[in-house]
Amino acid sequence: MHIKSYLNLYQLCEVDTSTKEQRRAFGLSHVLLENKPMEQLFAWLELHKSKLKKPLLSETFSTYLYGISLILVIVGLIAGLFSGLALLNYNGHAPVNVIYFMAMVIALPLITMTLALFSMIKAHQTQSVLIHLSPSYWMEKIVALLPHKVQKNLESLKINPLLANWIVIKRSQLIALFFSLGLLVALLVVVATKDIAFAWSTTLQIDATSFHSFLNTLALPWRSWFPSAVPSLELIEKSQYFRLGDHLSEEMINNASKLGEWWKFLACATLFYAIILRFLMYLLSLLGLKVAVKKSLLNLEGVSTLLRDMNEPIITTNAQERVEENKTNAEGDLQTLQKLDASYDMVQGWAMSEEQLHVLNDSMQVITPLVYDVGGTNSLEVDTEIIHKSHGEVLFYVKAWEPPTMDFIDYLEALVASVDKVIVVPVGTQEEQYHAETKFVDIWAKKLAFLNSEKVWLKL
Amino acid sequence: MVKTVIALHPRFAVVGHPNKGKSSIVSALALDDTVHISDVPGTTTKQRAFPLKVDGKILYELLDTPGFQRARQVLAWLEKHEVSADKRYEVVEAFINEHKDNVKFNDEIELLTPIMEGAGIIYVVDGSKPYGEEYEAEMEILRWTGQPSMALINHIDESDYSQEWKRALGQYFKMVRTFNPMQTDKAQHISILESMAQLKEEWIVPVKQSIKLFERYQEQMIDRSANSLTKLIVEALSFVEKLSFESEEVDDEDKKKVEENYKEQLRQLEVKTQKQIEKIWNHDHLQKEQTLLTFDGLDLFSEESASVFGLTRKELIITGATSGAVTGAGIDLLFAGHTLLLGGAIGALVGGTGAYFGFNELSEVKVLGQKLGKRYLQIGPMDNRNFPYILLGRAIFHAYHIATRSHALRDVEDLSMDSTFKEKWLDDDLRKSLEKYHKMFRSGDEVNVESLAEYEGLIKGVLEKLIV
Repeated sequence: MHIKSYLNLYQLCEVDTSTKEQRRAFGLSHVLLENKPMEQLFAWLELHKSKLKKPLLSETFSTYLYGISLILVIVGLIAGLFSGLALLNYNGHAPVNVIYFMAMVIALPLITMTLALFSMIKAHQTQSVLIHLSPSYWMEKIVALLPHKVQKNLESLKINPLLANWIVIKRSQLIALFFSLGLLVALLVVVATKDIAFAWSTTLQIDATSFHSFLNTLALPWRSWFPSAVPSLELIEKSQYFRLGDHLSEEMINNASKLGEWWKFLACATLFYAIILRFLMYLLSLLGLKVAVKKSLLNLEGVSTLLRDMNEPIITTNAQERVEENKTNAEGDLQTLQKLDASYDMVQGWAMSEEQLHVLNDSMQVITPLVYDVGGTNSLEVDTEIIHKSHGEVLFYVKAWEPPTMDFIDYLEALVASVDKVIVVPVGTQEEQYHAETKFVDIWAKKLAFLNSEKVWLKL
Repeated sequence: MVKTVIALHPRFAVVGHPNKGKSSIVSALALDDTVHISDVPGTTTKQRAFPLKVDGKILYELLDTPGFQRARQVLAWLEKHEVSADKRYEVVEAFINEHKDNVKFNDEIELLTPIMEGAGIIYVVDGSKPYGEEYEAEMEILRWTGQPSMALINHIDESDYSQEWKRALGQYFKMVRTFNPMQTDKAQHISILESMAQLKEEWIVPVKQSIKLFERYQEQMIDRSANSLTKLIVEALSFVEKLSFESEEVDDEDKKKVEENYKEQLRQLEVKTQKQIEKIWNHDHLQKEQTLLTFDGLDLFSEESASVFGLTRKELIITGATSGAVTGAGIDLLFAGHTLLLGGAIGALVGGTGAYFGFNELSEVKVLGQKLGKRYLQIGPMDNRNFPYILLGRAIFHAYHIATRSHALRDVEDLSMDSTFKEKWLDDDLRKSLEKYHKMFRSGDEVNVESLAEYEGLIKGVLEKLIV
């Protein structure tokens, strides 16, 4: 799992147009990867890699990252080398104070590694002071200011802050490692090419015994294997250097050959504190970066939806095909009336009993000699007979809430052929005092208008 | 001959008189708001299938059909062929075969064909209107088909004639159920599915599977909604708007502009999330009335508005103080109480004071990049501590209304503010839990997947409590 995977997926998510169905089909065809999100993502990436625009963003970015890292590592190595040479600069007049070199190979690495640990803990922060303090962060900013074609290609790239921070952390450790290597090389080169008299000197009131004890503690990691790399009390006593006047003590001059023994301690200290520990920090940063890549992959825009689509069954309940609403634009004329006459030649009711029709007549104050129930449970023959008997003006009650069916329309058309006039009266329920709701009357009006018959009237 | 389709899954034809709510029932049961529902009879002219599918496999199908138009004429034709009860099925088949090209009987052919192909019958009537004898021809035709059937009494209006309907329907159908598609909920939905399973022995297993799947589907929809709501809150709280400027001094116009852009982006985020929620719950065609996320006048941060969706100043201070105290208590714990619990006390004070002063401000407009030469104004991430509660309150209110809205409804959904809603979903414990994450989102730092999942879990809990 590395940054390349993250960038490829980042690029793929931006151009991915796969449907939910395609994603689920992938999930079903890779059942063994179920509940393994990373493996699913990689398999998905592998399948769709061909969709990515060339050159791959990951390749461009990796090249850029490698280039920057290489520059910074070389700068670190050179800086380390020169720092070492400067610290070990020996002109033969005064001994080289090991305290400076120790500060550089023990104190500085320990301090920076502690800061690095804190920055690792706070790596999720977008604006992390510790990250921004890192020389690698600023060196990259400076390099980034230089005109470069690659940088244009990376302008739109928005890297996850966690990942970006871990890239800086990892690179910082690498630079520091090479800086330390530079120091070690400088030490070895100087030791090999010069006869250096090392001494120790401090303003602090530290006697040789305490200093020996301190160095003994520092040398704990290697003193069992390389006892000669731990300065003896005698060497410490003999190499203590006081800047009184401008000359060396007699004892130091007498033991000049022994003063060079310090180099073993310095080399081991550099190797352990500045290189081995730093290398461990570097390994830790690699691990952190790996975890960050994983987290960033899962945090990528669209990834959670992609995984959800792969792993959740597609459940649908709706119609697969869309249908257009059946709109009839046909319009016709319909004659309406507001008030009924007092009497009619005949009263008919669609799917109503004769008793109901009498009650309705009474309610509407209509007098008629003939009352017929039609439709409903009547046979078609009975209805045909009634049509044959029908004449003059027919008052035709219908249940307003029951929409006109074609059965009714068929009957009405046949009836209209035998009579002079049909007044259709939609009526409400008994609870509504037979008053029809307007919305129902409208439906009747629309349907009757289709007939376009001069003989059909609607009571509003 | 009628093609005998041996369907591997149960099919149910929803049939009945025109305009009795067949399409509404199908719409509600299939969670599909694309079904044409109209007061005008004859809107449905073709049968339309609504399959419950899982990964392409159909578990059952609902079929919306046109209403009976010439039931008496069909029955008259059938009765002309007087046969014993066991042969009536064949007569219906013969009717279909003889009239399949006859436009006059188009609706009857459309509704009878799936039944003769083995679909169960769900006969729909309107229980809010009196029973009528004209229904008998329809019920008799259905009896002739010999297919398993049940009746559903729908209530389109307020009046109730269900007793007389039950008496009549009981003579034709072995099962009569009441179902209001406009007010359907999960329990009612499942109850109808269970009734459908009882129509035929072979259908019990697949329909029971469908019920489980339906429950899973609802869980999926809640999951997806919680995910969308979480994204909204995270994006809104961490959102940053930038505006480059070239002049020497920053003028108020620029500040106002960047602030307006910021607000507009937040509104757009809310609109985008609402659309996602509507899509998740299959309400793509919803028409709604609501007030946009507002920042002016009776604004988002006024106490009046806050009391509707967000926290009141008092609630906010308590939440801030509690959150601060928890952080402080962590420090106390770290030092094994040697801080004399001062950490908790100071944390509470800092949190509470921060909440007090953080009530009205949105986010400070900062001038950045001055030393690097590319100067720009920046607003965000969100400083206002009440904003997440207001935004979340609105989002949950919207999601709740969408999730519980029947797909049979075609009216405009009124999403105006409801002052009692906050009590339904937000209690002290939840507020404390949410605050921890809101603080994290406001920081603009990278939020890890685990924290997002935990926050999503909290939102899911709220939605489940409200919806299920």
